[in-house]
Amino acid sequence: MTESDDQTYVEWIAREARRPVVMGPAARTRIMDAVRAEPAPRRRFWHRLIEPRLISASPIASLALAAGLVGIGVFGGTFVNNRDGLTSTGLPQAVPALPIARVPVSDTVKVMTFRFIAPQAAKVSLVGDFNGWSVDETPMTRVDNGGVWSVTVPLSVGRHLYSFVVDSQDWIADPRAPVAPDDGFGHANSVVLVSRGSSS
Amino acid sequence: MSDDAADVQRVLGGDVDAYAALVDRYYDRCARFAVRMLGNRDDAEDALQATFLRAYKALNRYQERDRFSAWLYRILVNQCRSLAARRAHRERVFVREEALLLNAPDRAVGWTGEDEEFVQRVLAELEPLLREAFLLKYIEELSYEEMSALTGVGVSALKMRVKRACDRLRERWERIKDD
Repeated sequence: MTESDDQTYVEWIAREARRPVVMGPAARTRIMDAVRAEPAPRRRFWHRLIEPRLISASPIASLALAAGLVGIGVFGGTFVNNRDGLTSTGLPQAVPALPIARVPVSDTVKVMTFRFIAPQAAKVSLVGDFNGWSVDETPMTRVDNGGVWSVTVPLSVGRHLYSFVVDSQDWIADPRAPVAPDDGFGHANSVVLVSRGSSS
Repeated sequence: MSDDAADVQRVLGGDVDAYAALVDRYYDRCARFAVRMLGNRDDAEDALQATFLRAYKALNRYQERDRFSAWLYRILVNQCRSLAARRAHRERVFVREEALLLNAPDRAVGWTGEDEEFVQRVLAELEPLLREAFLLKYIEELSYEEMSALTGVGVSALKMRVKRACDRLRERWERIKDD
């Protein structure tokens, strides 16, 4: 037997396996029927937040919302534990971790800080269902030139899945948080529960 | 903006029918992988249904800078793995097609109408991870980098799996020749 025979056999298998297969004629229809029975997928969380919309509110509610915006801005700043979050006097100032941090504030949105230890990483970002799993939308900041990375984000009350992405390629679940079952996308994710009571 | 990205935006904008265009565009290719991977059309159809439904429900997680096909394929590969694992758990083997396969010609030359059944049988003999790597490399003709992004497995490990799959096929060829 020759090497050529071997390779010919493998190539023959591959060639035959590349032929199209014929499925049941109604298979695609069944897929679309199932799709139409599902709720329509919504645009990503960030997109929904920044989409222009009309909001009507009473004068009292408007004042309360304005006060809440200022309060959350200052409150959120206290959780930003890095050099950029401190004034020259060392006091915390209201520096939103993300530009959007000042926008979506209500009793259903809380400010949360995520930290991750990765001394060798050149870049770490936070991804989750709250930012469309975008590797670029929520970069983390190295704290005090150490191995701790941190970012503060606003999250809606409820259950969220998230992961950390190291150097734009390695998806790593938070070792200090519960891990969600495999979501079918090939990565393990962590779970954070955001309650109305407190930020962390 | 690609056709895929435009269709995704239409779906996210509320046009559910735009998803049919995506299904039509990728159904045949996904079906081929699922049938070759799972060994029969019934299971493959289940995997396809679950894949397209899951992709639809998670469409807002699709990033436009990624290829939609790669994103969809990642879901498909995982669905096939899950389905194969559940099937193995039930100790259900390819019963439906066993009768056909038992009568399939086991010869190196002269295969005609039974070629597909024969190929299906040969692929079914490979361990699932080797079969998956072989299919992605030789049937879907992906690069190792694309395979790695799709499976989450390192390039060197994938190369080893493909090599082992080819070795298994060659060993089978040797047995055929010896017979």
